[in-house]
Amino acid sequence: MPTIAIDAMGGDQAPEEIVRGVAQVSVETDIQCLLVGDEMQIQRQLERTEYNPELIAIHPAAEVIGMADEPKEAVKQKRDASVLIAARLVAEGQADALVTAGNTGAAVLACARYFRVINGIRKTALASVYPRQTEYPGQDQLALLLDVGATIRCETIDLVQFALMGSAYARRISKVASPRVALLNMGSEETKGGPVLAGAYRQLKSLPGINFIGNVEGNDLVRGAADVIICEGLIGNVVLKLLEGLSEVIMDLAGTASRENWRWRLGLMMLASGVGRLRDLTDYAAYGGAPILGFENIAIKSHGRSTAKAITNAVKVAAKAVRDGVPREIAADIGQLV
Amino acid sequence: MSRLRWGAAPPQPAAPIPIIFRWDLDKTYLKTEFQSVRDLVRISFEDAADKRDAPGVAQLIRGLRRYNQDQGREVRVFFLTASPPQIGRAIREKLSLDGIEYDGITFKNQLQNLVRGKFRNLREHVGFKLTELLRNRREMPPDAHEYLFGDDWESDPLVYSLYADILGGHVDRALVHDVLEAIRVDPVLIADVQRLMSGHDPGEIVRRIYINLERRTPPAQFRSYGTRVVPTFNFFQTAASLYGEGVLDIEGVTAVARSLLERSGYTPERLRNSLADVERRGHLLPTAAGALRESLRAEKLIAGGTRTRRKETATLWERLRRWFDRAEIVGATAPTRIDYHALVAEWRPARPAQAAPEPAADTGKGA
Repeated sequence: MPTIAIDAMGGDQAPEEIVRGVAQVSVETDIQCLLVGDEMQIQRQLERTEYNPELIAIHPAAEVIGMADEPKEAVKQKRDASVLIAARLVAEGQADALVTAGNTGAAVLACARYFRVINGIRKTALASVYPRQTEYPGQDQLALLLDVGATIRCETIDLVQFALMGSAYARRISKVASPRVALLNMGSEETKGGPVLAGAYRQLKSLPGINFIGNVEGNDLVRGAADVIICEGLIGNVVLKLLEGLSEVIMDLAGTASRENWRWRLGLMMLASGVGRLRDLTDYAAYGGAPILGFENIAIKSHGRSTAKAITNAVKVAAKAVRDGVPREIAADIGQLV
Repeated sequence: MSRLRWGAAPPQPAAPIPIIFRWDLDKTYLKTEFQSVRDLVRISFEDAADKRDAPGVAQLIRGLRRYNQDQGREVRVFFLTASPPQIGRAIREKLSLDGIEYDGITFKNQLQNLVRGKFRNLREHVGFKLTELLRNRREMPPDAHEYLFGDDWESDPLVYSLYADILGGHVDRALVHDVLEAIRVDPVLIADVQRLMSGHDPGEIVRRIYINLERRTPPAQFRSYGTRVVPTFNFFQTAASLYGEGVLDIEGVTAVARSLLERSGYTPERLRNSLADVERRGHLLPTAAGALRESLRAEKLIAGGTRTRRKETATLWERLRRWFDRAEIVGATAPTRIDYHALVAEWRPARPAQAAPEPAADTGKGA
């Protein structure tokens, strides 16, 4: 069974929710968990919940990088921060993967500091999963979007490599035999979007072993046309935040309307099961987290607001990625490219 | 300084204090699965060979007897169970198969309760257990120390704590009466308990109460019972704590660890984590844990801890804080005043819950 290092102090609700999530993993699975952070805080939290001590180790870390800290400065100043120590433990082979719900910038920098980049990869990518419409029975309800912020601007080769990494990850984790890969662009034509995107289009079209379906536009993102969507970090981040913001606004609007108007309230009550399903679908806790791809080690970045459920799922995803050899799969695909 | 007179016999060292280990049977010694009447009927017809002991428990009991006898202590081992005497033969055979030497087993005469129409007594064990503990104590050497072992399914922490506090003189008759009445113990048994409370010289006779967390009850739920109660997740943790208490040697802990590894699918990592957990919870002093860790690692029974190449620069203050936090919990033997009224107010008889999965090497389960 793999050992997963978990940054116990990272996230808005750390360490309580992180520890509860890991405790749940320990009673549900055989995954070995290595919690990194304030030993006594972690232990106190553990003792309040049902857990299996045989599957939980604690490694002390004296410092914490806060969600509002400037990542570069924090990583430089707080050398004993939980996320850095957790990444170091993975790099030194004492754990197989990292899970953190902490500061995203610090998580990416921690990986960059301690993990080795897969041979041939120029830039690593932060992926995110988001819910979308399904087009056929059995299609995964979640799509993978990358990059969402690790690399602000990209060159053609970076986008091609992101496509290969995303495809390999989806193949292993979503169990889609041949994931549909698309470029996020401002039009479906091959020449749209400038030389970088057009170049990526041409290269991806000619690559064997990748199911490239062309360009998709913003309105296709949630329609399920593609399983893996590639874009540069700046755009990916804007898209991700827009999706999250929209979901929150819709829920808020519904709540406000139902408070102000009894007909709305009645309507919402009648739609309760549908709203519940929608909420489940957009519940980030259900998918736990998304990978930072391109390193020889696996890192899963969970949402900053992660609850115990999200952490449980993130640890399971990390363990699955380890068992399924995602970095090896990516290395093999990149090797073909080189 | 004492002076020896010529020809006078040298002073004899004080005889070691006798030691008693009292064990619950179901869910503590035995891994009994009963959640329905059908299960109870099945258990009644089980042979000794069908009965499964909890991983490491037999090795622990044997180790406790061996070590303490080697130290010249008088050792007694008793079992107390709410199971009916009808299953006595299978139990005795099972203990014999496991090589357990014991000094007595007390069963609950459920048939008598049925015949007398005392149906509530069939499921209520506090009165029965407390009566039997006090009755048996009268036959023991007055200074004998006791270690008690139970589980988190029924009422063991309450019964054992009451017993310890009665012997310690920390609770009076009125309080015991109120507690037992509040949890609806048979008035006849309450009267028996009150009668049996007299005649004991008050003393801290019960040193520790070990609760096997068979249901994985969160350990924090036992804080109200004070530091005398030690909740443990497996018998390796119990053995480690008993080593810290000075009533088991490293050889005894090693035997338990080896049994878990060889017979029950444990791994050196699981044992390492178990040891660290019981230490962090304050039931084992860091010095004792260190000695154990070193010895078990030398035998390759537990895995090494995680270390990073660069030493973390935890401040001295941080290290001290961790030490004091532990020292606060490592609770010596000073008895904690238990608020029995509060405990009784929250009292709920145990309900069947889903049994916690036993660790096994080949479960193949995962994410």
